[in-house]
Formats: sequence, structure tokens, C-alpha cells
Amino acid sequence: MSIAIQTSKLTKVYEGSFRAQDVHALKELDLTINQGEIYGYLGPNGSGKTTTIKMMLGLLFPTSGTIEILGSSHVGSASVKRNIGYLPEGAYYPDFLKGEEILEYYGKLYGLGGKDLRRRMAETLELVGMTHARKRLLRGYSKGMRQRIGLAQALISDPAILILDEPTTGLDPIARKEIRDILANLRDKGKTLLISSHELLEVELICDRVGILFEGVLQAQGTLDELLQQRDVTVDVDGVDDAAVSKLAEKGLQVEDRVQSRAKLRVASAITAYEALELCRAFDLKLIGVAPRRETLEELFVRIVGAAQSTRRQ
Amino acid sequence: MGAFIDFFRGPWYIAVYTYREGIRKKTLIGFLILSLLVIFGASFISSYLDPTSETDIDLKLIKDICVATISIFGVLITIFISASVVPGEIENKVIYTILSKPVRRIQYLLGKFIGAQLIIIVNLLLMGVLFFAALYMRQGILPTLLLWSMLLTYFEFLIISAFTFAVSCASTSAVVPTIIGLFIYITGNLTEFLKDVQNRAGQSGKWFDDAIGWIANALYQVLPNLQNFSLKTQIINGQPNDPPTDVLIPNLMAYGTLYAVFGFLLAWVIFWRKEM
Ligand SMILES: Nc1ncnc2c1ncn2[C@@H]1O[C@H](COP(=O)(O)OP(=O)(O)OP(=O)(O)O)[C@@H](O)[C@H]1O
Ligand SMILES: [Mg+2]
Repeated sequence: MSIAIQTSKLTKVYEGSFRAQDVHALKELDLTINQGEIYGYLGPNGSGKTTTIKMMLGLLFPTSGTIEILGSSHVGSASVKRNIGYLPEGAYYPDFLKGEEILEYYGKLYGLGGKDLRRRMAETLELVGMTHARKRLLRGYSKGMRQRIGLAQALISDPAILILDEPTTGLDPIARKEIRDILANLRDKGKTLLISSHELLEVELICDRVGILFEGVLQAQGTLDELLQQRDVTVDVDGVDDAAVSKLAEKGLQVEDRVQSRAKLRVASAITAYEALELCRAFDLKLIGVAPRRETLEELFVRIVGAAQSTRRQ
Repeated sequence: MGAFIDFFRGPWYIAVYTYREGIRKKTLIGFLILSLLVIFGASFISSYLDPTSETDIDLKLIKDICVATISIFGVLITIFISASVVPGEIENKVIYTILSKPVRRIQYLLGKFIGAQLIIIVNLLLMGVLFFAALYMRQGILPTLLLWSMLLTYFEFLIISAFTFAVSCASTSAVVPTIIGLFIYITGNLTEFLKDVQNRAGQSGKWFDDAIGWIANALYQVLPNLQNFSLKTQIINGQPNDPPTDVLIPNLMAYGTLYAVFGFLLAWVIFWRKEM
């Protein structure tokens, strides 16, 4: 498997007026994004995702460290950017233009023209479901329509690499599903996608690998199978009260997602499922179900970021 | 040749879109309408009121007003546009979508600069055409001198534009470059005065006196002399179809271009490693 984007010891410091105001946005980041995969780039607000992405496009310059894209370290040069489609965070496009004029303009900047350009315009407009609004001024677009046009302009040159900074913010659930399908489709055609997102459920659905960033440090990177190892069992019960919760916790059964008297009990590896069921009987809880369970991406995220937060506080 | 055309293709598209966006700006349209109203009012109203009583003095006054209007509104438009084409795009973040395309930063700057020039030229032409028509209707002679004046005025604007543009590349809003642009326009028209200051300074022998003279001289040497580009006196006092006297048009054009190239290079030096 060849590598599409690789950063090594990538560091970025935003300099303030005083040393003390410097923001250390990225610290020796080593990212590896393979060709043909969807890479989910995760991290809480302000962790440095957009900073990383901007450096990949030559909008910002590294303080130290290197970036290689498709084997070239001339990041920001026209020849490297030719292979990249980019959807910036937040949708801003020249709003005196019509939807299709934007695509025409940006297509021309990629060196497209004539029939090729018109074909690509029609294709991408259709793909993002904006054919009906192509003759309307961007000024009159809704947030979701802007986001779709943004995606279309990133795709206009049919690039090998797509870098999408929060592609589904502002979209309704159906649009999200559509976009997700489009992205998965692109991956199946061999494109490489780097997606920064806060929508962990979506990321879990389509990403092959993820990296979790916190305060400029990559806390974890790998395939979902590698990262979401912890398997355990949950027991669904009814009839839980406050007293029961604390007693169960003492015995090693954690109560999660409690809604009134119903709750899910997470069985940690310290006790077996049988022991957990015994405990339920002992506390006179009504058993609803027992299910094996893989950790969700959200749980992984909270666990990793939470751990990083608490080590920082110490 | 092919490579040459390829290099300018991106800038040209950027310039066209910059132009299309620029001419929609309300401030610019406002300036333009105002200036056209002033030119129109000054040159037509008085004659419609009472054409027989027109005197030479009236005509001089009208010319004076029109020349001043074109110069002032022209320079306001020049500064406003040159100061805002780049910061405007940084502010609304459109720049991210452009610079992430296979476009080099110098191509982007060229495109923006050329786009600004297109706007400035079109505005100057609109004002000039109205003045030209007005003069022609009054005097019945084609005022060819005005064409020369327009040409020189453009080169004056080009210098102001290039330096305002350079300053705008260092800032994130249009405010500072606008102020600097006005400063360049004003001091550029006062360089004769600087020379005067230099001549009179340095006589008392005190250190600050010498210093003032030195600074005045430095500014005199560095700043472009924008007065050179004005045919105002001749337009007002001379015949409308005379060739320009007292000026060397090709030299002035070369002078303007040189300053503009220098200003543009300055913009590039500022912009090529700018963080977005
Ligand atoms: N231009 C800038 N000047 C100074 N500091 C900046 C600048 N841009 C970003 N930062 C800081 O760098 C850090 C990383 O910001 P970045 O925008 O990369 O985060 P992010 O992961 O994209 O966050 P979000 O999820 O909110 O988009 C933050 O602490 C931010 O305050
Ligand atoms: Mg971000």
C-alpha cells in the first residue's frame, strides 16, 4: 500500500506578540494517510486539525518538520495542488456568482476548459445534487447548498486526493447520508480522502483509519479494528434506583445511559457476565437483555481525549 | 511562448472575476455616480440655464471642477479598490479556495492586481468620456488634450494603486492600506514642497534642523512626483486640441511603470510567505 500523505515531526507555532502568547498548535505530528483510504481526522475544537490541513495546502508554513504528498515535498506548489481537492472549513465562495459559475471559475484554475470542463461541471453538480440550483446566485443558497457546492468545487478536477474540513456540518440527516455515500463511492474508485470531523458516528461508518488529535499531539492512529479493541458486554436492566447504582458501581458494574429506572450496565473485564447477572438478581433488577459490544468510536474518543486531558491537568 | 501563455492563464481568470466582483461594490458605484453627477452638473447645467451669458471664466471654472473631480474620485476609487481586493478575499475566506488550486501566489497577486487595474481603467474611461463629450459639446472642438491627460492620470493611479496594493498584502483589512494610499497620493502631490523644505532647512545649524532637511530630501528622492502627471494647467488655460506641452509622455509612462513594478514586487515579497 503506498502512502498518499505523510507528515513527520510536523510542528506549528503561531507566534504572538510575546513569547508567552505563542500558540503551539501542532507538536511533532507524524501522520500517515494511505492511498485509497478514508482517513478520519478527529480531535476536539482547537486541537490543530485545520492547522494541519492548511499546511498540506501551503496556506500555512510549518515551523518545523516536513510534509510529503504523493512522494513530493514541494507542498503548496502548483504540481502538488493539481492532485488535491479541498473543501475549507466553513463555506465561503464568491457569492455574486451562480453555482455553475463557481465551478467554471475553479475548474479553469485547475486548467480545465472547453468540453472537459462542461462535462465535469455537469457531473459534479449532479453528484452533489445541485443541478436544479446551478443557475441561482450563491447569495441565495442555504447553508447546506453552499456546503454541497463546496464539495462540488473540491471534486471538479477529479483529484486523486480529497481534503475535506468538516464536510457535513450544516447538513440535514438525509444530505449527510448522501454525502457519506458519495465519499464512500469516491474511495471505492481509488481516491484518498482526508476528512476532519466531529461527527463520530459518521466517521465510524465510513472511515478506514482514524487519527485522534489533542492539543497538537496525535494520541492514537490506526484502523477502527485496531483501535476499538476493547470488547465487553452490556446488560440492559429495569428497576434501577440511586441506591442500586452506587452499589453496582462498587461491585464493578458501571451504569451507563440511565433513563429513569432503565439502564445499561457495562460489564468491565474484572468480572464475568455470569457474575454480573448474579448481581442483577441480587439487587432484584429486571433483566431485559444481554449483548456483546464493541466500543464505539465516540467512547474511544472520549476515553483517549479524557485521558490526555487528565494527564495534562496533573 | 506556450509556457508564457500558461503562466498568465490563471491570473487572467482571477483578474476577470476580480473585476466582475469589484464593479458590484457599492462604495465604488457610489463614487462613480457622484463623480459623473458632478461632471455632468458642472458642464451642462450652467449652459442650459443661460447659454448666451457664458464667459471664458465660466469655462475655466467648469474645466477646473471636472479635472479636480476626475482626479479626486478617480484616486478614491483607485485606493479603495487596490486596498480591498486582497484583504476582502482574506476576510471572507474565499482566498482559501483559490490558493488551494494549482495557482502560484505570484499568479494570484498578478490576477488581483490586473483585475484592480481593469476596474480603475473602466472608471477612468467613464468619467473621461463624459468630460470629453461635455467639452466637445461646449466648444465644438475635439478635446484631444483630454485623452493625453487621461493616459497620464492612469499612470499616476497605477503608481498609487501598486503601493496601496503592496500595503494591503501586509494587512488583513482595507483600513490601513486606504490610509497609506491617501498618504501616498497627498505626499506624492507635495514633493515640490518637500524640495522647498529641504532648501530652507539646514540653515540654523541645529541638529534637528539638519534632520528635517535630510528627511525631506529622502522623501523627495523616494516618493514619486505625481504632479508631473497633471496636465491641469494646460487643460484649463490652453486649447482643447493642443498637444501636451512641457511633458514627455513616454518618459512619464516609463516612470509610472517603473514605480508600479517596484510596488508590485514589494507586494510579492510581502505575500509570498504570508500565512493565511
Ligand atoms: N491564525 C492563528 N493565529 C493564532 N492561533 C491560531 C490561529 N489559527 C489557529 N490558531 C490556534 O491553533 C490551535 C489549533 O486551531 P485549529 O483551527 O487548527 O483547530 P481545529 O482542530 O481545526 O479546531 P475546530 O475543530 O474548532 O475546527 C487553536 O488553539 C487555535 O486557537
Ligand atoms: Mg477546524
